[in-house]
Amino acid sequence: MKPERWQQISRIFNRAISLDDAAARAAYVRENCGTDDDLKAEVEKLIESHEQAEDDDFIGGLAVEDVAEHFTGDEEERALQKGQQFGDYLILDHLGIGGMGQVYLAQDARLDRTVALKILSADVAADERRMQRFRQEAKVTSSLNQPNILTIFESGEVDGLTFIAAEFVDGETLRDYLRGKRLKFGEILDIGIQVLAALDAAHEAKIVHRDMKPENVMIRKRDHVVKVLDFGLAKVTEKKKSASGEEGLHEESRTEFKTAPGLIMGTVNYMSPEQTQAKAVDARSDIWSTGVIIYEMIAGTKPFGGTTSAHTIVQILEKDPAPLAHAGAPEVPQELQRIVAKSMAKDPDERYQTAKDMLIDLRNLKKRLELDAEIERSAAYPTAVFGPPAITTIEDAKRTAESTVAGISKTKAALIVALVAIVASVAAVVGIYVWRGKRNTPIVPPPTSVTPPAQPRLTYWITVQKYKDGKPYEAPFDLAGEINFEADYQIRLSIRGLQAGYLYVLNEGPTGAGNAPEYVVIFPSPTANDGSEFVAANQRVQIPNETWLKFDKEQGVEKLWLIFSEQALPELAGVKAFTNPRNRGLIDDAQLNKTIDSFLSSRLSETATPEKGDTFTALKTASKTLIYPIRLEHH
Amino acid sequence: MKKAPPRQEHEITQLLAEWRDGNQAALDELYPLVYDELHRLARRYMSRERKGHTLQTTALINEAYVRLVDQRNVQWANRSHFFAISAQIMRRILIDHARRQTYAKRGGGARQVSLEETAIVVQDDLSEFLRLDEALKALAELDPRRSQVVELKYFGGLNNDEIAGVLKISKNTVIRDWNMARAWLHHQLTGSAST
Repeated sequence: MKPERWQQISRIFNRAISLDDAAARAAYVRENCGTDDDLKAEVEKLIESHEQAEDDDFIGGLAVEDVAEHFTGDEEERALQKGQQFGDYLILDHLGIGGMGQVYLAQDARLDRTVALKILSADVAADERRMQRFRQEAKVTSSLNQPNILTIFESGEVDGLTFIAAEFVDGETLRDYLRGKRLKFGEILDIGIQVLAALDAAHEAKIVHRDMKPENVMIRKRDHVVKVLDFGLAKVTEKKKSASGEEGLHEESRTEFKTAPGLIMGTVNYMSPEQTQAKAVDARSDIWSTGVIIYEMIAGTKPFGGTTSAHTIVQILEKDPAPLAHAGAPEVPQELQRIVAKSMAKDPDERYQTAKDMLIDLRNLKKRLELDAEIERSAAYPTAVFGPPAITTIEDAKRTAESTVAGISKTKAALIVALVAIVASVAAVVGIYVWRGKRNTPIVPPPTSVTPPAQPRLTYWITVQKYKDGKPYEAPFDLAGEINFEADYQIRLSIRGLQAGYLYVLNEGPTGAGNAPEYVVIFPSPTANDGSEFVAANQRVQIPNETWLKFDKEQGVEKLWLIFSEQALPELAGVKAFTNPRNRGLIDDAQLNKTIDSFLSSRLSETATPEKGDTFTALKTASKTLIYPIRLEHH
Repeated sequence: MKKAPPRQEHEITQLLAEWRDGNQAALDELYPLVYDELHRLARRYMSRERKGHTLQTTALINEAYVRLVDQRNVQWANRSHFFAISAQIMRRILIDHARRQTYAKRGGGARQVSLEETAIVVQDDLSEFLRLDEALKALAELDPRRSQVVELKYFGGLNNDEIAGVLKISKNTVIRDWNMARAWLHHQLTGSAST
């Protein structure tokens, strides 16, 4: 359009709309456009748009408001961005969402150290009670100085945002660490000992944690050092003298026990009987909770767990947990059973009275087991300390427990063997005999020279977030397998390969009859595992890493194909190209879809066998490549 | 607790004055400084908005202004220049933001993908928002001043008096420009758009 024309249109338009009466406007336009019908049409069109714009209040507000309304997803909750300066801290990365707000990885410019920066979310900041908890955590924890307690460096406020700067622990929570695998007794004891060392220091300082659970225990990746965190519920036990005049830990201090749904979900399992009844809580309540955690590490299941919080509470108050020996750990050392049972006595007076006492018992047991293992090893037991290394399925886990314990119970025999100082060659024969008896394999060659064939194994579980009216409700929960999903559920898939290998996850949506399937690459993904399809042994991959997967409105059955192999698969080499931002995983290449399709169908007969556990499904296969379709039905 | 260091306040005040006096290079230096501040505020604003704490219209840019500029040396001319650049920057921030979100919508709307990542799901109104930006660019070709009025008002949150001050035109001209521009944009977005 020529500028003169544009000016002409706008002049007539502006005059016309300054007239209130529709007839007068029409007359004005007619008059001023003369015989130029195009001009008249342009002006009339604009007048009509003007009226509609007035009615709709088109761009009547502020852009920032209009945009804000339309954002969804966790990402927008974040107040801070990578590379941003926040007070003395440079934000390096977003780590996740904690109970009170977002957690970032940041660099402290003053001391050149990396910290975890916890920022209080806006709704928490507005909530005085939770603010109180936040300040409490900072105050309480910074007064503790023990290697197994997460160090708090400082807390404060920058730009109206409240923060806590804490030691950064590169690792995972015990909850995540436990998932998909079973620990050996040696490791369980290591973790228990460190947790108790942390509690011992806290209790010495008259601080009760009150919220001990696997989510609050971190395992550092580098050296498996344990860090206890979240002293948010902690309360300094009151210093007033009790009736007996004794000052100390057994003083009364009431727990605030609010029964808000969601708040308690998942927490109640570790509560002591006195805590569930909102009675006085002291250090011995933490001992109970630690007992529950150790029980869970051994058995793989929680000792108390009803369908609702109320059911669980009834169990905590009234039921004795299933004996460990019957709960997935058939031959748990008797001493360990005794320690756990004592820590979980219903009556606090019958429990360990201090964390230190329990700590000493665990340490002694650990020394004994180590000694036993040492003797076993010198008796040429073919595998390393504390039993065979690879726990790959639930069955294996049980077997490991058995063999580990079997080893321990043989202590005396082995000890005698050692003491009588039989020559090494004889010991070796004993070793081979033991090994043969266990594995049912030929005597020679010794296992060190045998590389077992690669049989890929992995475990997976699905995290579900329910939605209601477009908003998340209830805490996310984990599923070992498949359920029927409501259309608005959102999910995450977690996978742990038991050995290093190449992992692919492809989605095959419901296809109409006759249509060739069109696959979507879910993994590898630019947002997980640095975009690589190669995963390390025992590495947990969460897909998607920070957001969720969401179903569309169509109902049907989704297949999530898990494909895992020690070798890269040439058939799937091409899928990575479609993880680009434009495709977002959608493979819009008919040839590649066909290749994938025939690759998957050619191996249907070799589909992996699933073995359902409490919190995960273990997959195993006899072939070199593990293939398994997770079926997700949604309606 | 901690305010922006005074050095920066001076710097921005100085840059604004230089820009006002015709030094275009000052704008290049100013841009990233203001961008960072507005970006941060916009994100905070949007997370608050979703929780129902609405800020007053120009509060966001005002807040940036107060935080960034040396208050002992406030001049109206500086302020309006600050608002002008802020409107431009806000537009860029919001459009980038919307684009990132909608970018992800899988290419070719006809395709059905039944399982997808959530953060990439945005309501259609956001693509509408991006179309508005395109239309505004087309308007700038046709009539730069009217497009600027929209930018200052819609993205910058300036009122008519402030816009008149920034563009050095009368308030009535601002109103007329706005009406024309809005009608034209509305038509571009909703009409069969033959223009």
